[in-house]
Amino acid sequence: MTCQESLRTQSYLDGELQGAEAGAAERHLETCAACQSLAAQTADLSDALRKTVRYRAPDSLRARLTAGLDRETARKPVRTFWYGAASGTGLTALAAGFALFLLLPPSAATLAQSVTDAHARALTSGKTIMVASSSHHTVKPWLAEHAGISPPVNDFAAAGFVLAGGRVDEVAGARAAVSVYRHGNHQVDLFAWIDRGAPLPAPAINRGFRSRFWKSGDMDFAAVSDVDAVAFEKFIALAQQQRE
Amino acid sequence: MDDRRRRFEAQALPHLDAAYNLARWLSRSPADADDIVQDAMLRAFRAFDGFRGGDAKAWILTIVRNCWRSAGTAQKRRGHISLEEQNLIADDNPEGSAIQAGTRRKLDALVADLPEEFREVLILREMEDLSYREIAEITGTPIGTVMSRLARARAIVRETAKDCL
Repeated sequence: MTCQESLRTQSYLDGELQGAEAGAAERHLETCAACQSLAAQTADLSDALRKTVRYRAPDSLRARLTAGLDRETARKPVRTFWYGAASGTGLTALAAGFALFLLLPPSAATLAQSVTDAHARALTSGKTIMVASSSHHTVKPWLAEHAGISPPVNDFAAAGFVLAGGRVDEVAGARAAVSVYRHGNHQVDLFAWIDRGAPLPAPAINRGFRSRFWKSGDMDFAAVSDVDAVAFEKFIALAQQQRE
Repeated sequence: MDDRRRRFEAQALPHLDAAYNLARWLSRSPADADDIVQDAMLRAFRAFDGFRGGDAKAWILTIVRNCWRSAGTAQKRRGHISLEEQNLIADDNPEGSAIQAGTRRKLDALVADLPEEFREVLILREMEDLSYREIAEITGTPIGTVMSRLARARAIVRETAKDCL
């Protein structure tokens, strides 16, 4: 038994209808037995499909892709800084000037701003994790490969901070490796980047995000999150105790 | 690593699993899926200067689908290998996993056996959560066709999977 309105009902169930259209579909669904049955079956099918059958790219493919991109990158010599500087016009010159600026270590204020921005940007875009894994055996090598930095990565699930994955981000123009932790509904980002001799900012709260900076070995670290003060301190203690 | 590569990786790599999932379901073979995704990602990288922001996921998946189609009929005729479970994203809820193993195998087989035009819309909608408009873009079909294929795909799976849903 199929109702003539079944395609509209399906669009409604898939969240494709808005406003008056959605209202009309909803009213129809209240009285049409065929569409109600369709709704129930579609929901069951969605649940089943979503739970069971999504593949993820194997690590071997990730490695192969990195090698492929390396070859692509090597094939075409990239126009250098001096090419841009010598051409002297427009955006290229601007970019060259910017690149020069980036060679200087950032100020403490820039760092604080940059780390909070990166955290907030990741949260707003929903792209907080590029490699999802609760295993440091997966996250650490991925970060080493993609960020060129290999900070210690540990799961603190026993203490309430579950390792969720990692991503590559940018802090004040430099590449940073980020380990991502979940604490209840909150996310804690642990940034690591190569120490360029920059002075580190004092602990701060910016736009509701706490941040804390420290140095260890030849790397700078920053923890950023909107968890409460007690949880944040607990996380920092754990993160600072990490060893290779 | 140069800036272009870094920007590309930041845009494209978050969608590598989606790319692989689509390639895997289209080709129904792990080896072919690897080749298709590798090819697609390198093509995307070469074309990256033409990508002006917007929906990176739909962009990548469009290229994956094109690579699959241009990979030719040889692959398609090869027949599919039974789907392994090792690459499936682990269920967040371990209590349900024993019960689900049987259901999962049946559903795998059902979806894998769907005709290609139904299989792809079902994967894009149910696994990748894409909108009709994005699916229409990726598959190069009108939205109305996406809707009717999706309805048909769901009906086929519902009908054949009655006992395991």
